[in-house]
Amino acid sequence: MTSAVAVPSRAPAETIEQSRPAAASDRNQQSLLFALPKGRLAQDSLSFLEQAGLSIPTDTESRKLILPAADGSTGFVMAKPRDVPTYVEHGAADLGICGLDVVRETDRAVYEPLLLPFGHCRLSVAGPADEAAVPPGESGDFADLAVKPATYSSSPGTPLRYMSQPRIATEYPHLSRRFFAERGVNAEIIALGGSVELGPILGLADLIVDVVQTGTTLRMNGLVEIRTILESQAVLVVNRASYQLKAAEINRIIERMRLLTT
Amino acid sequence: MNGRVPFGVADYFWDEASKRQNLLDLLMETFRGWGYGDVIPPMFEFDSTLSAQYDDRLRSGMYRFLDRDGSTLSLRPEFTTPVARLVGARLHDWPMPQRFCYGGSVFRYLEPQAGRQREFWQVGGELIGAPNPAADAEILALTATALKVAGLTEFRQIVGHIRYYRSLLQALDLNPQQTQQLQWALERKSEPLLDDFLRETPLRTGQRQAVETLPQLVGENVDGILSLAERHIQNRGMHEALQNLRGIVDALLGYDILDSFVIDLTEIRNLGYYTGVSFEAVTPGLGTAVASGGRYDDLVGRFGPPQPAVGVALGVDRLLVAQQRQDETDSAADPRRPQAALALPQGSQEALAQVQSLRQAGLHIQVDVNGWPIDSAFAYAVETGVCDVLLWEDGFQHHQRDDQGDFVLLGQLEESRLPGWTANCREGLSK
Repeated sequence: MTSAVAVPSRAPAETIEQSRPAAASDRNQQSLLFALPKGRLAQDSLSFLEQAGLSIPTDTESRKLILPAADGSTGFVMAKPRDVPTYVEHGAADLGICGLDVVRETDRAVYEPLLLPFGHCRLSVAGPADEAAVPPGESGDFADLAVKPATYSSSPGTPLRYMSQPRIATEYPHLSRRFFAERGVNAEIIALGGSVELGPILGLADLIVDVVQTGTTLRMNGLVEIRTILESQAVLVVNRASYQLKAAEINRIIERMRLLTT
Repeated sequence: MNGRVPFGVADYFWDEASKRQNLLDLLMETFRGWGYGDVIPPMFEFDSTLSAQYDDRLRSGMYRFLDRDGSTLSLRPEFTTPVARLVGARLHDWPMPQRFCYGGSVFRYLEPQAGRQREFWQVGGELIGAPNPAADAEILALTATALKVAGLTEFRQIVGHIRYYRSLLQALDLNPQQTQQLQWALERKSEPLLDDFLRETPLRTGQRQAVETLPQLVGENVDGILSLAERHIQNRGMHEALQNLRGIVDALLGYDILDSFVIDLTEIRNLGYYTGVSFEAVTPGLGTAVASGGRYDDLVGRFGPPQPAVGVALGVDRLLVAQQRQDETDSAADPRRPQAALALPQGSQEALAQVQSLRQAGLHIQVDVNGWPIDSAFAYAVETGVCDVLLWEDGFQHHQRDDQGDFVLLGQLEESRLPGWTANCREGLSK
């Protein structure tokens, strides 16, 4: 402003007036913001959205933080999977896709209208194959136990008889603590950011709780599944306020997705 | 000594503090305009008074401490229960209905979010002793008015009726585990979880259809949704709930706020004491509700003779965040309010006398108490955003900051030249 003496005084104000409506209309056009998870679910999510007939960003490798859809109708943010429910709860994004495991672990106040037909995996307790982790009185056949899912809402099944305070390495501290607490065990939870299979190998933990898809990683590290905590797959999450404020657009998306899920 | 504050509280100062206080005043004034009288309940009460009325979530989020005689006390986590206690215990023989409004801090031991600390501000009103839909309609209309006063333009009020859901549960006669499963499905609006419930729970055809219809009982088409719900009534309670909602909608016609209405008969999260209509207000850019309220006919009766009642509380912190986000998109940022003018009396008693008369006229004036020379006063004024410096030389000489940030002498002080807020105050007084 101090150097504005030589410039006609109206000029700066006009620039501002012009730029603002443009920015506003940008936001209006992209009336929905969609949070997608980076990593494992990213490509599946985009293909699913495309199958559902929704416009997706053309250039997902772009360094831009908010990617516009090809037709400009929707904006997309690629977020860390754990952050998707957080973005959606706070209304920073209207909708999101992430794993049910993440939704249950983060326990955010979001709507979750649909399960989506990809990203299938299970959250399991696993332990060293060779060790005396076989509790007395429990079947030694771990593979058999693993195919019988014991979701935490159903009955605990055969009791877990580990030492009084097993050490559990996991990226899912909440679900792990609850799983063991519901079975009368106050487990010592060691929250890690990844590579939890290392826990038993390094003597950091007795057991791990982690996501299992094929079981290859577990086998390579000499671990076997003992219990399934949760059967997981991708889920659509929606902000509670957006669900009502942008009901028409969001219902249109849900309708299209529902056609692919049933 | 260190300068830390406990987690969950914050200092508000300067613009942030005055905006907060102004919004609180504005909202309180709106309630007063509808005949609501001020009430100031205590900051803490016996824990038993408060926590018996709440659901687990709120009860686990209360600040508790011991009184010196060993009784457990709690900081108020909301105002409705203290007001209900006041009316039930002490004002029950006063003519009904009674209208009360309040504003102030409440305390909840929850994760801070959306501009809200563990100490946050609520403004609200309670209408006690009025059972009819007209009373519910008044609270809904008042909420809409207050949100408009707070500057929100695109809010929605999501209206449900807890009696509809509770009566449905009665009709279904579920065990606790089944109830939990249904509640989970509805709270999350999860079709797969609802499908699971329907698959695993034996129900008669009519009951099954009533549950299957629930997800459709959400939307803006108020009349259509109520008609649909009426086709699946299982008992008297469900019927009365819908009749009541119809009555409220009719009573709202005169208020012209129905366009902000959304019906959601599956909205079942609430404080635990609601017995009838319950609602939340949401606004774009903020994922959480800015206001919530409802009817609580059983609460006053816990403290004295029963009285029907309905009320609402608005979250001042969330309203401020919503205002800010909305202003960003509307590019209608409100102007910074000018600082009080700085007067240098130069030791003259006459100068102080004139400052007093200017203040009486409604102008905001701070007096130099350090005996500064004019240059120090200018430097202070520049750093603190003061635009007007008044220097006493047989009458105040008015120095005003120009667009370049330099102070220019305007000459002898004329009150009308004190800009913005200060001058407006004076105009307001002279009216």
